[in-house]
Amino acid sequence: MMKKYWFVLITSLLAASIASAADSRIWGGMILANILAYGQEHATRLGPLFTTLQAFYFRKIFAGVLLCVPAAFLVHYLVLGQKVFSHDGEKIFVFSVFKRLVHWLAALAFIILIPTGLMMVFGRYLGGGTLVATARHLHGVGTVVFLVAVIPMFLFWVAEMLPTRDDMRWVLMAGGYLSRAKQEIPAGKFNAGQKMWFWMVTLGGSGMIATGAALYLQDFDYGAASLLGLSQIDLLRFCAIVHNFLAMAIIANFITHVYMALFAIKGVISSMITGYKEEEEVRFLHSSFYKKLKGQRQV
Amino acid sequence: MNYEQARMKFICDEHRCIECFGCAVACSEAHDLPVGISRRKVLTVFEGIEGKEYSTSIACMHCADAPCQKVCPVDCFYIREDGIVLHDKKKCIGCGYCLYACPFGAPQFPKNGAFGTRGVMDKCTLCAGGPEETNSALERQLYGQNRIAEGKVPICAAVCATNALLVGDAEEISAIYRKRVSSRGKGA
Repeated sequence: MMKKYWFVLITSLLAASIASAADSRIWGGMILANILAYGQEHATRLGPLFTTLQAFYFRKIFAGVLLCVPAAFLVHYLVLGQKVFSHDGEKIFVFSVFKRLVHWLAALAFIILIPTGLMMVFGRYLGGGTLVATARHLHGVGTVVFLVAVIPMFLFWVAEMLPTRDDMRWVLMAGGYLSRAKQEIPAGKFNAGQKMWFWMVTLGGSGMIATGAALYLQDFDYGAASLLGLSQIDLLRFCAIVHNFLAMAIIANFITHVYMALFAIKGVISSMITGYKEEEEVRFLHSSFYKKLKGQRQV
Repeated sequence: MNYEQARMKFICDEHRCIECFGCAVACSEAHDLPVGISRRKVLTVFEGIEGKEYSTSIACMHCADAPCQKVCPVDCFYIREDGIVLHDKKKCIGCGYCLYACPFGAPQFPKNGAFGTRGVMDKCTLCAGGPEETNSALERQLYGQNRIAEGKVPICAAVCATNALLVGDAEEISAIYRKRVSSRGKGA
C-alpha cells in the first residue's frame, strides 16, 4: 500500500518536471529567438551589456565602494571627530519597542545579506564551491527575514519620511557634519540623510527583493517579462544588472548608516536600544522636531 | 596539418539536418542526464514556411572568447588547449550568470541542490568530461562520458545519420563544409 503511494508521488513529480522542461521560457521555444537576436542591431543587447559589466566593472566598483566609503569616514573621524552631546539632560521617547524590534530584524537581514552577497561577488578569491554556494543559499534566507522587516518598517515610518522644506537645507549644509560647530540643524524627526536611507531600504530593498527573486526563480512566468517587452532571458539579464547596481548603492548607504550610528555622534545608538534620545541631540540635530515638541509642551 | 593549433568546434549543416533528434537523444542517454536537462537541442527555424524552413542542432558552441568564463564569479570555467570549454562543478555555485552571458542558452541547472533548489550548472562538454581524473567514476557521474580521452568522436556527431553535425578541428570541419557548399552550389 505504502509502495503505491510512493509510486504515485514520484511519477507525478517526474511528470511535473517534464512538463516544466517542455514549457520552459528559457530553454523551450524561446531559445531560438534569443539566439538569433543576440548582439543584433535591433535587439536589446542586454546580453553583451551584462557580460561586459560583470566581466570588467561590477567587482571593481564593489571593491571601490568597500574601500573608499570607509576610508572617507575614517578621514572624517580623524579630522572632525565625534559630535558629543550631553547625556545628562532630559530624555525624549522616539522609538517604540515594536519599531526597535523591526529595526533590529532588518539589521539582522542586512548582516546576513551584505556579507553573503559580497562572498558571491568576490567568490573567486574564496575558491567557490560549498562555501560560496552556502552563502548563496543564506542570501535567500536573509531575503525572507528582510521581507518580514521591510513591510512594517515602510508602513510605520513612511509618513515621517516624506520630504519637507528642511531637507534641502540639510543637504546643502551636509547635515552639519562638515563642521565641528554645535549648531541647530534643520530637520524634523528624521533628517534628509535618514530619509534617503529609508527610501534606499524600502524602495531600493523592494527592487532588490524583486530582482533577486527573479534571479532565484529563473524560469517563471508572472507576466513581468511580457509587461516589459523582454524575453525571459533578457529579463534575467536586466535583473542581474539592476541587482548589482542597487547593491552598490545600498552597501555604500549601509556603511554610512553604521558610521553615523556608531562613530559620528557619541552614544547615539542608545536611542535604538532604549528608545530614548538625549534632549540636546534632538535640540541641535533635529531642531524643527524639537521646536514642534516644545510648542506642544512635551519637553 | 597542425595539431598543436587544433581548436575543437561543432558545425551543423542546416541543409542536411533532418530534425531526427538523434543527437539530442544520444547525448542525454550517453551522459545519463537527469529529466529536464538536454545538453543538445534540435531547433527548427521558420517552421512551416516553404523554402525557408530549416533545422539545426545546438549545444555549447565552445566559444574562443567564451563569455561564460568572463562572467563566472567563482572562475570555475577553463578552456583546454584544444579549445573545449569546460567547468568545475565542485567550484560552481549555480548562480546562473553564465546563462545570462551565453548567446546560445547552453548552461542549464538541474534542480538537485538542497531541498530541490537549483543545483550547479550543467552543459555540453564536447564529450571531454571535466577536471576530475580522466574516466574516473566521479568524472562520469558529474560530467558524463569522456569520449575524447578514449579517442572517440562526441556521441552526437557519431550518431548523426546524415552527417549534418560535424565536430573536430575548426579548420578541418570548415574545409569539409566548404567542399559541401561548393558541390551543392548553395548554403554558405
